[in-house]
Amino acid sequence: MSATHRRLLFAVIILAALLLQVGVAGEISVGSVKPDILLTATICWALFEGPTRGALFGFWGGLLEDVFTTAVLGVGAFAKTLIGYFSGELRQRVVSKSVVWPMLIVFVATLLHELIKFAAWTMVGLEQRPPLNPGVVFGLALYNSVLTLAVYPLLGRFAGREEREMMFQ
Amino acid sequence: MLERRNRRQRFLIVILVLVCILLVTFYSREGENGLLHRLQRFSMDVISPLQKGMSKVLSPVRNGIGFLVDLGRARGERDRLKEEVRQLEQRVHELEDMRRENEALRGMIEVKEAYPELEFLVVEVIGASPDAWEQTIIIGAGYDDGLQEYMAVLNEDGSLVGRIITCTARSSVVQLITDEKSAVGARLQRNAEMGILRGEGGGRVHLELLNLEADVRTGDVVITSGMGGTCPAGIPIGTVTEIGEKQADLSVGIVIQPRASMTRLDKVMVVVSPRPTSAPGVAEGGSGI
Repeated sequence: MSATHRRLLFAVIILAALLLQVGVAGEISVGSVKPDILLTATICWALFEGPTRGALFGFWGGLLEDVFTTAVLGVGAFAKTLIGYFSGELRQRVVSKSVVWPMLIVFVATLLHELIKFAAWTMVGLEQRPPLNPGVVFGLALYNSVLTLAVYPLLGRFAGREEREMMFQ
Repeated sequence: MLERRNRRQRFLIVILVLVCILLVTFYSREGENGLLHRLQRFSMDVISPLQKGMSKVLSPVRNGIGFLVDLGRARGERDRLKEEVRQLEQRVHELEDMRRENEALRGMIEVKEAYPELEFLVVEVIGASPDAWEQTIIIGAGYDDGLQEYMAVLNEDGSLVGRIITCTARSSVVQLITDEKSAVGARLQRNAEMGILRGEGGGRVHLELLNLEADVRTGDVVITSGMGGTCPAGIPIGTVTEIGEKQADLSVGIVIQPRASMTRLDKVMVVVSPRPTSAPGVAEGGSGI
């Protein structure tokens, strides 16, 4: 696949994840827990493509999400960039074909993502920030982990051949 | 080469993070009509038709998830209600026990008021004789509580149940009036005709009148005679239910239905004062005990 094709694929996947996040996530919420499809896609993408592409995916996905919602612009991009980068770093250390590892990484990364967002809101001095509800954060981490079962194999189909052979069962 | 690549990666991350921080800073500092806020509102206007459409298309999915969540909640609710029903049933049983105990205590108070000259000790029944041929119960008080042999034992409504025949430090054995070896001095309340009440075993008792020509009728009430110095006089025992034909020895079989139910005794009242003066005398069929 040429570099142009890969960039196009990258943009299509981000847009698809964004549309699913703003259009579908709210419809498949369980109680007050709304899945973060974009975050799950960022982590899975980073696990296949590495830290740089993971960070870029997180940055653009998070930025677009911020633009299309009422969130503080930049906070989502900031959190997802960091998560994308560090998830990509993990890819170079954890090599496993099992889907359990990505699920576990998504679980932990979701908890970190929410903490980063909350810390950013606090630093910005956002007065009407939502309370940090541990139950909801834990539920979100669990929901995203389950979502990984679908997202990880799907993105694995678009990953480079080497990555697919290394990471995808 | 690898080092250069890593440096480039870190540089890119620093740039991205800086851009984010700048965006957050501008967004926070600008007013509601700032460029970034306006861009956000415009984007939301663009995306809202899509969200509406998605909402319609995905409503069955949403309903399905809602149904599953409700199902989980309903199961939890069912389990909670089951537990609540179990607790309430237990509470009902406890209240029923308390009601019975309350009734028994009320009866005992009435008995105390009816016999001001007597002193009672309320004692719990802790067991019954395992021997099929013995009609006895065991009560949870003994010498240490002021009890002694031959004291009369009444039920909660003041009817005669029996007499203590064995006393230990903390428990006593009560021989019921239905026991085959039991003999209690009794008389008919209507005409004061004296006799001896003897147990037959199997829940039956009969009265042997001293006067073979005595006037006895079905329904006559039988009470203790007080003869012999163990049972106080005037304690109700039961009612004449059957009068047989005269036998060859001129005795008449008079069957008495005891007033106290011998099979439903939770608490009994022991007459502790006046104390029995001696072992049951002949008038009470003393040889029987």
